[in-house]
Amino acid sequence: MGESWFHREFLNPRRLVFNILFYGLQFFFFGYGWHSQAVNTKLAALNALTWSVWTSRGAGLVLAFDGGLILVPMLRNIIRVVRPRLAWAFPADENIWFHRQVAYSMAFWAMVHTTAHYVNFFNVERTQVRPERALDIHYTQAGGITGHFMLLIMVLMYSTAHHKVRKQCFEAFWYTHHLAFFFMIGLYAHATGCFVRDSADPDYITSFPFYSTEHCLGYESWRFTIWPGIIYFGERVYREIRARRATRLSKVLVHPSGAMELRIVKPSFKYVAGQWLFIQVPDVSGLQWHPFTITSAPEDPYVSVHIRQVGDWTRGLGERVGAGPSVVAALTSAAMKGSEKDDLVYGTRGNFVELDPGRTTRPLPVVRIDGPYGAPAEDVFNVEVAVLVGAGIGVTPFASILKHIWYRQRKGNVGSLRRVEFFWVCRDAPSFGWFQSLLQEVEAAQADPNFLRINIYLTQKISEDMLWNIAVNDAGAEYDPLTLLRSRTMFGRPDWKSIYGRMREAIETGQYLPGTNSQLKTRVGTYFCGPTVLAKAVQKACVAETGANVAFTFAKEHF
Amino acid sequence: MGNLIWHEWSRYVSLTATVYTIWAAFWGFLYRKFFWDFVGGTLRAPGGLQPADNVAVFIDIIVKAPIVQILSMILGFGILALEYPAPFLKGTSLYRSLVMRIVVLLLQAFLAILYYQGTNGAIWSLVAVIGYMRAIMLGESMAEAKENRGRGGKA
Repeated sequence: MGESWFHREFLNPRRLVFNILFYGLQFFFFGYGWHSQAVNTKLAALNALTWSVWTSRGAGLVLAFDGGLILVPMLRNIIRVVRPRLAWAFPADENIWFHRQVAYSMAFWAMVHTTAHYVNFFNVERTQVRPERALDIHYTQAGGITGHFMLLIMVLMYSTAHHKVRKQCFEAFWYTHHLAFFFMIGLYAHATGCFVRDSADPDYITSFPFYSTEHCLGYESWRFTIWPGIIYFGERVYREIRARRATRLSKVLVHPSGAMELRIVKPSFKYVAGQWLFIQVPDVSGLQWHPFTITSAPEDPYVSVHIRQVGDWTRGLGERVGAGPSVVAALTSAAMKGSEKDDLVYGTRGNFVELDPGRTTRPLPVVRIDGPYGAPAEDVFNVEVAVLVGAGIGVTPFASILKHIWYRQRKGNVGSLRRVEFFWVCRDAPSFGWFQSLLQEVEAAQADPNFLRINIYLTQKISEDMLWNIAVNDAGAEYDPLTLLRSRTMFGRPDWKSIYGRMREAIETGQYLPGTNSQLKTRVGTYFCGPTVLAKAVQKACVAETGANVAFTFAKEHF
Repeated sequence: MGNLIWHEWSRYVSLTATVYTIWAAFWGFLYRKFFWDFVGGTLRAPGGLQPADNVAVFIDIIVKAPIVQILSMILGFGILALEYPAPFLKGTSLYRSLVMRIVVLLLQAFLAILYYQGTNGAIWSLVAVIGYMRAIMLGESMAEAKENRGRGGKA
């Protein structure tokens, strides 16, 4: 990446504030923990161990802080509820990023804490400040056992969460990450057994919490850190209950490009455009939940997701509903032929096929859905101009948004939204045939030709044959030969800088939004879904073009 | 189990275990203790644990002179060079040998289990060994790196 580490971490105001708060708090806790141990006269005996005990106590307090934070970004339902109100204060969509930062800090402080304790126990054994061996503390007392277990769990969790492993085998990541349950139990139990005390032997009592706070002088941090754990556990239980509410898979449609569309009816499921959900099909896997973008609009009587058969699970699902690879292959080749021969005659790219459940021997499988979960594209109606940029498969959330905009348009209720620019950057258009048919519908329904503009960029290298094909067929045709839209397909990568530059100029001269008062600041919201490299380029253009009259904002969605 | 490539996962575990072991060996220089000295040892106050006479040889090479720790650290840096990999090992047949890794990791586990600080490093090394064994059982092999791979934009 072009920008330096310093530039990224310190010259970006929001990041700077985050760094100061997050790392500042950690160092503060470390210093406080160190100090409170060092000056505590009741713990004078332990203070004979000097720096190592101060370090372990300081790092222990930071770890308690991190342990309390680690689950907070994973409270998905709570984040979804507070997101609209707090979007200005923190980037709620970066929750996984924050989760990772906490995890990295945890690994660092765990190293400090463990190193210090190895020295502590060595010296405890040598000086006999407590009548025990180092081995006893390490492997027979709660603190030692849970500590070693948590370290092992961390090795397993961190190594399988590496992005390479996660992409290869999501299951390995998914199942291993549930060791978090034992990790959190270990965390809450780590300081039990009256570990920090002013007496040589622990002072237990018979009532909860089974140690006397007179002699047991730990931070009692579990009293605070346990709450996110309890809330998270409650959320998981709630998700399970919600997922069990009546859900019915009403239709399975197979699109010529091979994507399956599942139409699910679940009356209790309320969502807004651009959100996503988790889906589970017990027949394929009883434990796995897979995230998919919702492709139906909230106004539709069903919830739909489009699934391409690319992985283990999606292929299993295809087999189960009777749309296995062979069926899809036949359909795809038929569609490909259609796109060469019949397109210009019929003006469409072959239709989807509905799988008839009566024809197959098995009824449609039971599905369960969990969600919806948030995504920034909910906010399109708060800006005057919405720029929707989808790259590759990242175009899926915009299916729902475009449909939703279309419904709202029909009702004459589009908020402050005046224009929509839709960009779709993809390598090969035919693989997203289902999306094209949707775009066709939306485009055909436009009464105002200026409201929605569709820009499609094809980035693949095109062969000479194709070039001629386009050159000949394209001239004077009403529809674009590739996408069958009225909008023309463009080739190569979009030049974001000039796109945004021209948009700003057009807005400033009043051509773009007729009738706008130039005194008012025009808000242009960009909603992006796709790979990071492209996101950076778009964001850069947004930042560069923001001026006195036009404010460009940028939001990115994550999978 | 999906398409988990075991030797790639094991590499992360092995790197973690090795860095831990190097760090442990460093602290092992400063606070020298034979991990197994509790076997037959007597606890005295003050003075701590007095090891039994029949382990004197370990006391010689761990407490009197930190030979095991030094070996463990050198081996650790060697494994790091093999796993990361160091530029001069990249693409060699040594680098692509999974059996080699199992051997050195077992050796690392053996050395690390001897001194006080090394136990976790030893256990994690064994976890990596299990991963590599699984990789061999599944017939995985490390692909010969393509010349320009991983050099985005420079190829």
